[in-house]
Amino acid sequence: MNWFVWRQHRKQFLMLGILLAIFAALIVPTGNHFWHTYQQALTTCRQNPATPSCSNLPDNLFQTHTDQILFNLVPVAILFLPAILGMFWGAPLLSKEYTEGTNSLAWTQSVSRRKWLTAKLIWILAATVVVVGAFAALNTWWAKTPNALLYNRFNYLFFASQGIVPVAYGLFAVAFGILFGAWFRKIMVAVGVTLGLFIVMVMIVVPNFVRPHYMTPITISAPLGPAFRDNIPGRAWVLTRDIKDKNGRVIGDIFPAAPHECQQIIQQNQINTGGGIQVKATPSGADPIDDCLNKAGFHQVATYQPSYRYWDFQRIEVGIYLGLTALAVGAAYWLVLKRDA
Amino acid sequence: MGQTAIQTKGLGKRYGSFWALENCNISVPEGSVSALVGPNGAGKSTLLKLLVGLSTASAGNSAVLGKMPQQHEDFLSDIGYLAQEIPLYKSLNAADHIKMGKHLNKRFDEEFIKDRLKDLDIPLGRPVGKLSGGQRAQVALALALAKKPKLLLLDEPVAALDPLARHDFLSSLTQAVAEGGLTVVMSSHLLADLERVSDHVIVLAAGKTQLCDNIEPVLHEHKLLVGPRADAKNLGDGVTVIHETQAARQSTLLVRIEKGTKLPSGWQQHEPNIEEIILAYMGQAKEGGEK
Repeated sequence: MNWFVWRQHRKQFLMLGILLAIFAALIVPTGNHFWHTYQQALTTCRQNPATPSCSNLPDNLFQTHTDQILFNLVPVAILFLPAILGMFWGAPLLSKEYTEGTNSLAWTQSVSRRKWLTAKLIWILAATVVVVGAFAALNTWWAKTPNALLYNRFNYLFFASQGIVPVAYGLFAVAFGILFGAWFRKIMVAVGVTLGLFIVMVMIVVPNFVRPHYMTPITISAPLGPAFRDNIPGRAWVLTRDIKDKNGRVIGDIFPAAPHECQQIIQQNQINTGGGIQVKATPSGADPIDDCLNKAGFHQVATYQPSYRYWDFQRIEVGIYLGLTALAVGAAYWLVLKRDA
Repeated sequence: MGQTAIQTKGLGKRYGSFWALENCNISVPEGSVSALVGPNGAGKSTLLKLLVGLSTASAGNSAVLGKMPQQHEDFLSDIGYLAQEIPLYKSLNAADHIKMGKHLNKRFDEEFIKDRLKDLDIPLGRPVGKLSGGQRAQVALALALAKKPKLLLLDEPVAALDPLARHDFLSSLTQAVAEGGLTVVMSSHLLADLERVSDHVIVLAAGKTQLCDNIEPVLHEHKLLVGPRADAKNLGDGVTVIHETQAARQSTLLVRIEKGTKLPSGWQQHEPNIEEIILAYMGQAKEGGEK
C-alpha cells in the first residue's frame, strides 16, 4: 500500500519540494538582509540617538516597494498554504477515486478499505505536517525582523503564519478536504466547500470570536489622560479600550454624556482646525478637560492579552484544530467503510 | 464441482424508497460460467456489487465462496471484479498497475500478466488513459485474473467494445476458464453476447415484481396462457400475471406460477422462451411507469 500511495502522489510531493526550495531561496537571503539592516539601525541609534529616523524606526525602515510587498505577501502565502493543500491535496484524495470509479478497483484488491484509507491518511497527513512545518519554520525565522519592528505577534496575520498553528491549520484543511471528498464525491464541490470552511473558521470565526477568549483577559482601569497608554504592557493584544462613566457604562460619545460644566470646558478648550478637533495646549501640561471628566467619574478601561501568553495561545489553538482534524478523520473512515461504493 | 460458489436468498438492495434489486434467489455452481442477463436497470450491477462487498444488502443474505461478502482481505483475495466502467488509474501505465496488483494482493501472478499483455501487444509504458477501449478492458481483465481468484465477477465487460475487441476479450476469458478452478459470472443486457461462452444463465428483470433467478426455474415457473377473455381475473392464489395481451375474444397471459400451485383449468398452456419472459417483465415496468 505504501508504494502505491507514493506512486499516486509522488508528483505532488516533488512539486511541493520544489516550491519549498524556491521559498527558502527567497526567504533566507531576504531574512538575513532585513535582520542585519535592523541591527545596524539599532546600533546607529544607540550611538547617535539624535538621528531623525530613530524616533520611529517602523515607519523609516524597509519602506521600499519590494520590501513592503515581501512583508505582506510572505505571511499571506503561509496563511493560505494550508487552504491550498486542503483544496488540491485533501479534497481530490477520495473524490477523484469516486468520480473515476477507481475506488471499486482499489477496494476489490486484497486490501481492506480500512487499511487502504489508513495508508493514504498517514502519508498525506504526515506530508502535510512536514511541508507546512517547513514553510512555517522558515517564516517564523524570517519574521523576527517584522516581529521586532511591529512589536505584536498577536497581530492576526502574524499569529496565523508563525509558530505551530500553521501546521494545525494544514491538518485541519487537508482532513476536511478528504472528508468532503468522501462525502460529496465530486472534486469541485469538495474543493469549494473546503475553501469555504477554511475562510470561515481560520480567517473569520476563530480569530475574531474564539481566540480572544482562550484565557481570561487582563483588565486595567485608569483615569483619563496620556499616561493610560503606558499602563498597557508593550506587545500585548489589546481587545477593548473604552471610556466608562461612574456607573461602568461604556460611553460612545463623551460630549453629550458629560456634565454641563465639563461641556463648557470642552467648548472653551477645543479649537476646530478644519481637519479635526484639537485640544489647546496649556502651559502646565495638565489637561483641563481630562481633569473635569475624571472628577465626574469617567475613566478608561482596557482589556488585553499579555505577550507572555503567546505560546499558550498557540498551543490552545493547535489543540482546537487537532480536535477538529480528528473529527474529520473519524467521519471520513465512517463514510468510506460504511457507505456503498 | 458440485459445490456452490454463490448462493443468495431473498437478497435485496434499496436506495431510499426505490428497490434496485428485490428478492433475488440465485445459485451458481463452482466452475461454471454464468451469464447474468437482463435489461438495463434490472439490477445486474447492483447484484454484482453486493456479491463482491462493494455495497451492503438491505434485505436477505448471500454466501459467496461460503462467506458473507465483506471488506476483508481473506474474502477479497479470492474474488476478481471488473466494474462496468472498467476503472483504471488513467495517468498510470500498465506496468504501474501490475506493480499495484503485486503490492495490494497476496498472491499475484506477475509473470502471467506480463506475458499476457505482451501477447496482446499492449504497451506497458503508456498511460492507460491513452490506450484503446479494448486494450483497457484487456488490462483490467488481466489484472483481475492475475489475482488468481476463485470467482470472477464481470459487469458488462463487452458492452463498450467493438466486435473484434469483444471477440478477443471473450477468447481471453475462455482461455482463462479452460485453465480451471475458476467460476465466472458476467452480466450483459444481451444474451447473445454471452451465449457462446456461458453454460449457465441467471435472469434479472424488474417490473412491479422482480425476477432474479437461475434460468431453469425461471423457464419452469413461467407459462403463457391463452384463454377466453372473461377468465382473466380468476386465476387463483400463487399465480401472478406478469403481462397481459387482450385480443377481441381472448387473452394471452404470461404468468408466474409458484411452486406447488396447480395450474388453472380452461387455459391453453405454452412454454415461453427466455426473451418473451424478459420482455413481459419490461412491459410490466413500462405500464407501471405510466400509471
